[in-house]
Amino acid sequence: MHAALHPLRRPRTFGLAVAALVGAVALAGCQAAEPDASDEPVAGGTLRYASGDAEPTCLDPHVGGNYPQALVATQFLESLVSLDESGEIIPWLAESWQASDDGLTWEFTLRDDVEFTDGTPFDAEAVKANVEHLKDPATQSSTGYLALGKVDRVEVVSPEVARFVLTAPDSALLESLSQPWLAIESPAGLARGMDENCQAPIGTGPFVVDGWEKQERISLVRNDDYVSPPADARHEGAAYLEAIDWRFIPDAASRYAALQAGQVDVIDNPQPDTAAAAEKSGDPTWIDAPRPGASNRIELNSGQAPFDDERVREAFIAAVDVNDGIDSLYFGTAERSYSPLSSAEALAYSDPDLFETDLDRANALLDEAGWAERDDDGTRVKEGERLVVRFPVSTNQSVPAEQSLFEQVQATAKEAGFDVQISLLDLSSWYGALFAHEYEIVSAPYTKVGPDVLRILYHSDSITPAPSGYFANLAQVNDPEIDALLTDAASTSDAAERADLYERAQALILGGHYLLPLYDQQNSFLVANSVHGARALPTVSTPTFYDAWIAD
Amino acid sequence: MSDLELQQATVDAAAAEARPTGRPRVGTIIAGAFVAFLLVATCFPWLLETYDPNAIAPADAFQPPSAAHWFGTDESGRDLYSRVIAGTATSLAIGVAATAIGLALGLVLGVAASFGGRAVDFGVGRLVEVLFAFPGLLLALLVIVVAGPGPVTATIAVGLSTAPGYARIIRGQLISIRSAPYVEAATVLGRTRPRILGAHILPNALLPLVVLATLGIGQAIVWAAALSYLGLGAEPPAAEWGAMLSAGRTYLATAWWMTVFPGLMIVGTTIATTVLGRALARRERGVR
Repeated sequence: MHAALHPLRRPRTFGLAVAALVGAVALAGCQAAEPDASDEPVAGGTLRYASGDAEPTCLDPHVGGNYPQALVATQFLESLVSLDESGEIIPWLAESWQASDDGLTWEFTLRDDVEFTDGTPFDAEAVKANVEHLKDPATQSSTGYLALGKVDRVEVVSPEVARFVLTAPDSALLESLSQPWLAIESPAGLARGMDENCQAPIGTGPFVVDGWEKQERISLVRNDDYVSPPADARHEGAAYLEAIDWRFIPDAASRYAALQAGQVDVIDNPQPDTAAAAEKSGDPTWIDAPRPGASNRIELNSGQAPFDDERVREAFIAAVDVNDGIDSLYFGTAERSYSPLSSAEALAYSDPDLFETDLDRANALLDEAGWAERDDDGTRVKEGERLVVRFPVSTNQSVPAEQSLFEQVQATAKEAGFDVQISLLDLSSWYGALFAHEYEIVSAPYTKVGPDVLRILYHSDSITPAPSGYFANLAQVNDPEIDALLTDAASTSDAAERADLYERAQALILGGHYLLPLYDQQNSFLVANSVHGARALPTVSTPTFYDAWIAD
Repeated sequence: MSDLELQQATVDAAAAEARPTGRPRVGTIIAGAFVAFLLVATCFPWLLETYDPNAIAPADAFQPPSAAHWFGTDESGRDLYSRVIAGTATSLAIGVAATAIGLALGLVLGVAASFGGRAVDFGVGRLVEVLFAFPGLLLALLVIVVAGPGPVTATIAVGLSTAPGYARIIRGQLISIRSAPYVEAATVLGRTRPRILGAHILPNALLPLVVLATLGIGQAIVWAAALSYLGLGAEPPAAEWGAMLSAGRTYLATAWWMTVFPGLMIVGTTIATTVLGRALARRERGVR
């Protein structure tokens, strides 16, 4: 990782880098000068991006389908539709769409002037091939596979018209299709097989994957023939930037130091204290883009002891105190959530009353549930079993501040007699612990456009693992009433009825003590002031650099 | 020159400058006092702690050093002084246990090499050379990858990776003692080999080993802290110096005390054990 900081592409910053290496942080201030007086975009230059998310094992977001894949795929893949800032669906690769009255068929009219970067034409056949790729168990898709749960097949009506045939009405279809995990790739690219396609998926986007040095960088170069920006882009034609140098710097402090030293132009997942400082000073610029879908929450595994007993779940939630911790650790950049949904979702339902800390109540509930005795450590015991709560934490998915918050969860739960055992794991060990059900609580980000994420996370169908092995219902919620509400909500086309159904479902999920909401999924970027026009796509808040340019 | 050979050289240098008078130096006294303080912190931490080291108080997070919190507070409002004290036991235990493991393994290998005949000597020699080819910390990382992270694994890992150094030094020492006149005399007198080993050779080899071990503890503590710093040793919320250093580094720009005090403890402990080791070495050579 150390080496990742050294090689530099742009000669003009070489001197600065040397200065930075000898620790002259002050010099970095000179580079991040005041923005140019003229706001005229300048073409050319390489943007250097440093990601703190895990390096993907496959660049094709159809395979598995996690956020790190979405971050980079946004640069070279595009979807049928997108979202604007107000949350309305807008055209992208599809120009228009029409649902049948029964909601079981959707016809998408596609752009007829778009080609994949390998020269394959973008048409209805390509859309069909992508949906089939996502639904094929051999692809090992999770996110895309679940999102297409109701799509039976795609029919080619004509080269410009693709017809989606559904098994049940799906009020979330357009939202699902807007996500990078359902982006459209070249059928010829997909036909190369998983190994090759994972190295360099072929799309229609403003950049093209040029090379991928594992553990080091992904090189992206401009697609000069680009014609298909989403409807809310600020310009047409090819991107301004010549290339993007996509690096991986897992350590938050090193990542920030690299930005300060002028070695990179944009970083993601900044530590809250640096984000708060940037918000105040405006240098670098802080782009705050909470992810849609679920809030960041701790799920309680209700599928096995001890949390199969609702009283024990309620006791845990009553014992844990996170409010002060969120305030002090996040320096005012994160707000406490009381909802299973992100505040970016219009239909999010909150109930703060359920989450008031009450140690006496926690103790009373645990006594009642049979965990009345305590051992020498103060941990409660029932029939010789200690009240152990295993908590696998993915270090790739949480900044140090969040890990500190989890330690506070551990400390406050201890007072009620829970022995919370945190293990810090890398992403693959963490998945391993989940697949083996070796957890009582877990914090797993889940991003999806729209409230239908509730069906993915809390419908009993999601207890069954997707082809990737991941089961999204980590709380193991298995309640027929919740299932019915979520199924109805996903099928109705009546907006008011949909809102009502989702509210009732959320009230039941919160009331069942399956989760402890913390805050929105934190997602923000620090951008050097020399970079202009960078923004987060309103779909899943991944950054797009199509409109971005670098001022000298 | 490996770290341990360096330590041996330190021992020799200390012996060379040994003064005939038995009066301890000021540095030795200070080092001894510091080690005594560490021992109290290890055995009776509650005598020194001013707060519960794991009690959180998020409202008091990031407090600079003050009369209430001598070393300030960390990101969860925990008292850093109390955590540094609480961490002493973990760090010292890992240091001492790892050194004991390394020394024991080294003793077995060293005795086997010097008394097991030419073939065994050859085998042990090559094994030690192979292990030496790995940098010590890398060997420790390898053990942790295989056995999984945690304080016990970290101890064993550090112990194993110091063993080859001890083995080589012990072998050399035993061979030089083996040819000493008093051993030859014992052989001529018809003493059996186990008896010579037990009554003459080991007692004379042990004292230098104690000196070596004292010096080794400091290094083992640094290595153990390094492993915890990498997230492979102590698990949260356990207070451990390396882990505290790692947590504080994130806030280095705004809360310097979170790294400085655990760092000072690591440095102080290493220096104190080294100074004591040198003093022991001087005494040992002086007595002889």
